[in-house]
Amino acid sequence: MPRFARMAYQKADDMVFGSSRKPLSYGLGIKVGTGRVIPEAKYAPRPGVTQSPDRLKREFVDYMSKDIIHRAVNLGFPDLQLETEWISHMGADQRTSGDIVSMQKELIEGCHAEYGINLAVRQTIPDLRECELGLRPGRDSIRSHPEQLFESAETACSQGADVLSVETLGGKEICDYAVTQGDIVGFLFGMGCLGSIDAEYVWDEFVGICRRNRTVPGGDTACSGANTVMFMSGGYLDNDVQKTFSALCRCISAARSLVPFECGATGPGKDCAYEGIIVKAITGLPISQEGKNAGCAHFDLMGNVMAQCCDLWSDESVEYHPDFGGSSVACWAGSLGYECSLMNTATASGNGKVLRDLYMLSDRVRSPESYILSYDNAWAVGKAIVDNRKDHYLRARAAAIAGANIILEGYRSGELGLSRRQLEKLYRMIRDLESLPDDSDAFMESCLRRYSTEVSKFDPANYGL
Amino acid sequence: MIDPRKVDYGFILRRYDIESESQMRPETVAARMLPQDPLLGEVASSVMFMRLRDVGPAVSRALQMGVKPLDIINKGLVAGMDAVGYLYKEHVYYLPEVMMAAKTMESGISLAEKHIPGGRVTKGMVVMHAAEGDPHDIGKNIAAVMLRSAGYEVVDLGKDVPVDEVVRIVLDRKPLMVTGTALMTTTMPAFPAAAEKLHAAGLDIPYMAAGGAVNREYAESFDGGIYSRKAPQTPPIADMVLKGKGWREIREEWDDITGGI
Repeated sequence: MPRFARMAYQKADDMVFGSSRKPLSYGLGIKVGTGRVIPEAKYAPRPGVTQSPDRLKREFVDYMSKDIIHRAVNLGFPDLQLETEWISHMGADQRTSGDIVSMQKELIEGCHAEYGINLAVRQTIPDLRECELGLRPGRDSIRSHPEQLFESAETACSQGADVLSVETLGGKEICDYAVTQGDIVGFLFGMGCLGSIDAEYVWDEFVGICRRNRTVPGGDTACSGANTVMFMSGGYLDNDVQKTFSALCRCISAARSLVPFECGATGPGKDCAYEGIIVKAITGLPISQEGKNAGCAHFDLMGNVMAQCCDLWSDESVEYHPDFGGSSVACWAGSLGYECSLMNTATASGNGKVLRDLYMLSDRVRSPESYILSYDNAWAVGKAIVDNRKDHYLRARAAAIAGANIILEGYRSGELGLSRRQLEKLYRMIRDLESLPDDSDAFMESCLRRYSTEVSKFDPANYGL
Repeated sequence: MIDPRKVDYGFILRRYDIESESQMRPETVAARMLPQDPLLGEVASSVMFMRLRDVGPAVSRALQMGVKPLDIINKGLVAGMDAVGYLYKEHVYYLPEVMMAAKTMESGISLAEKHIPGGRVTKGMVVMHAAEGDPHDIGKNIAAVMLRSAGYEVVDLGKDVPVDEVVRIVLDRKPLMVTGTALMTTTMPAFPAAAEKLHAAGLDIPYMAAGGAVNREYAESFDGGIYSRKAPQTPPIADMVLKGKGWREIREEWDDITGGI
């Protein structure tokens, strides 16, 4: 598999929201990365609705999708992308899922014809595979989740998805363990190596499915590992995971999330794990990001900075319910669209880079995570990945070491504050990462031995190892 | 790029995590909380400072010197873990320290309990699972470690567990309490569904609902439901169930039991 060998952006300052080196056109007039940032609205049905296929279809199409589109038209937004993140039940009910996809397609065609608004739908299918049962087709004889994953991709694409995405969960069993142990080497192995191997396996197939159906292969995000870390790292009052640990997890995850694009995915990338800025610096492909306008779903210390170079701006997942201003999904979509209007006004008036910098600076020193994701630092992490592209392990390790050194330099220069424990953890991680072998086979061998013992549900055969 | 050095960050935000970082030292807590007896102190200290290699020899020494195995567990290993819990509550220790200390304690317990005729009696059983349709179980796994550390037997059903399977096993095993975790709002209705079936079958036990999607209001919206916001709150709640408190009383006293965090 060819690996990205050079940076799409020769310098960090070239990156800005709304613009990407490899823009895309799809759906009904949607153009991503050509100058305008587009709101990407996501929604989740109410608890209980899932039990009836008819209620589920009505909730997804007649209530949520329609409410959002009408709000976008009411507020004068020129573009809107919907993202349907399939709930777990939909993976097991292809018929209902296929109906939802085709009904949404029909809906956006009608709205596009009636109002002229540019529209598209991203379908993000669920990865329900369980490592205990088997991650690859033929290995899970109880629930057939691996087969279901590929079947879902076929269903989504054949029924009219404009963009296909997924959040593959390869390596999750090791990442979960590593997070609870504060073990950066385990996370490197789980996400950087196993996650990459699994993403490659899945996306090799998905790209073919997309091409056959003329669907845009959107890519993947390291939600199951990196988002879990971010969730647990939390805010200033939380003390489960050190924020310096969480920051390095984002660097490692970027190396993994490159893989779908190396398999042929074209973007727009997904938002959940917040590694997209590093991926964009390397690939030049458009990305969807989320931050303050996704407070309904995610809590983090990066509300503004994530907008700095986005191409789509997402609200992540809004549960449907009534609010004073209308339905929840319409209200949050409105806030997304207004934020996009602000960005697009900045671009149109020649102030795009000023607003980009204001977004970034307002969060830059809020946490080690926001510091490493500030676009200049994210670009430098991307450069380390490209410079060490020989294999999954070496580039993920290089990303982590580069990230650690950037944070340390930020601290030493007095720009970034760290608590005593955040700093201690940073030093320990640097020591652990730098003491790892340069030989990938030696690293894999040592990790296979260690984690096969320590994590009972880890089965190397799930990764062809 | 606008020069970051021109920005007065103090005008923009406050780093409460740095300003309020606890200056408490584990050594100070050790002097206050660990047993004075040198043998038990050594056992407790190995847990508190996560010295996995030291706990076995420390327990063996105490056994050789005639300390009763149950005292080694309760006055040594558990005392060390109590200190760990205190340090976690005070934001001195983080989750990895708690997990490592728990592993150290479990190692010590497995050695000490071999010397208890008939084995160690656990406090009681808790059945745990992640909701049907939900593949996220990290929170459940952490809580399971903490419950085991606190002396409970855990029957872990895993993730994506069908409602009927939860009901069947709970009716069969009759635990002190059931726990369910859900990261997604779409999967959490599994909890009231299972609780209703249990109550219909005549089993009025607490059903703890937890996880990223669940809030206290939801957990208390169905009969049997009680809430846990964070994994460390699970053992003190289990202790209350063990004392005979029902789910209604636990709801009333939830803030006192959990520290209201």
